[in-house]
Amino acid sequence: MSSEALVAGLTLLSFGIIIAAVAFGSAIGDGIVASKAVEAIARQPEARPNILTFMFMGIGVLEAFPIIGLGLAFYLLLVVVKVPDMIAHLTVVAK
Amino acid sequence: MHEQIGEHLTWTLPIVGVVHSDTIVTTWVVMAVTLVFFAIVGKSYRSAYQTRRQAVVEGVVNYIADLSAGTLGRKGEPFVPFFIALFVFIFAMNQFGMLPFKALGLPFGGSPTADINTVVPLALIIFVMCWAVGFKHNGIRQFAHLAKPSPFLLLINIIEEVARPVTLAARLFFNIFVGELLFIVVASIVQAKVAIGFFNLSLAVTFVPFLIQFFNLFVGTVQAFVFTLLAIVYLSLAIGEDH
Repeated sequence: MSSEALVAGLTLLSFGIIIAAVAFGSAIGDGIVASKAVEAIARQPEARPNILTFMFMGIGVLEAFPIIGLGLAFYLLLVVVKVPDMIAHLTVVAK
Repeated sequence: MHEQIGEHLTWTLPIVGVVHSDTIVTTWVVMAVTLVFFAIVGKSYRSAYQTRRQAVVEGVVNYIADLSAGTLGRKGEPFVPFFIALFVFIFAMNQFGMLPFKALGLPFGGSPTADINTVVPLALIIFVMCWAVGFKHNGIRQFAHLAKPSPFLLLINIIEEVARPVTLAARLFFNIFVGELLFIVVASIVQAKVAIGFFNLSLAVTFVPFLIQFFNLFVGTVQAFVFTLLAIVYLSLAIGEDH
C-alpha cells in the first residue's frame, strides 16, 4: 500500500468519525430541545408562539456547532488533503 | 472534477491588494435591492388602507422592534432601527444565493455571507459597538465584570469575551457555506455516474438539490434571526452592566 493511499484512507476515516460525532451530539441536543418544547406547550398551550420562537432560536444556536464541524471536515477532505483528486490518481495508477 | 470550494472572482486594487469582487458586487446589489424595496414600501406607507406587502414588512419590523426594545430597555431605544436593518440585510444576503446569477455568467451571485470576509466585519461591527456603548454608559467599569465571580476567572472570562465574536461570525458563515457546499457534493456524485446494480444512484440523487434549497431557505432565515438576537443580547449585556 502506497503512502498516498494510506493518507487518503485515513482522511476518509477521520472524516467519517467527525461526521458521526457531530451528528450524534447535535441529534441528542435537538431532541432535548424539541422534547422540552413539546412539554412546555402541553403545559401551557397559550404560550405556544413564544415557545416555538425560543425553540427555533435554541436549535439555530445549537445547530451551528455541528455545521461548523461539518464545514471543517469538508475543508479537511477537499482542500487540505484533496481526497477526490487523490483517489482519481490512485485508480489511474492501478489501471 | 472541476468544482472548487471558496473560488472567487478577484480584483487587484492599488492599496488593499486582492479582493473578492463577486462578494463585493453582490453586497452592493443586495443593498440596492433592499433600499429600493423599503423606499417603495415607505413611500406607499401613508395610504389609507394596508396593502399586503406593507402587512408583511410591518410584521417583520414590529417583531424585531418589539424584541430589541423589550430586551434593551429604555437605554437601547436608539439602536432598534440598527437591529431591524441588520436582520433585513443578513436575511437578504442569505437568500440571495438562491438566485442563479453566477450560473448565467454574470460577475456576481451566490450568498455574500458564504464568504468569511463579509461575516467577520459584521461580527466586529457588533463588538466594537458593544464596547463603545458600554464605555459610554458605564465608563471603564464595564471591564469590571471580567473579574466578577472571582479574580481567578479573569483568563476564562477574557477567552469567553474573545470567543463571542468568533462564534458569532463562524455560526453564520459555516451555515451558509455548508448550504452551498452540499450542492457541490451532490454535483460530484452526479458527475461520478455511480450505479449500484440496477440502482442508478447518480440519477436518483438529482432531485436532492430541490430539498437542499428548502433547507437553505429555513437555515438562512433562522441564522439571520439568531445573529440579530445574539447581537441584541450582547448589547443588552454591555448596556445594563450594573443591575
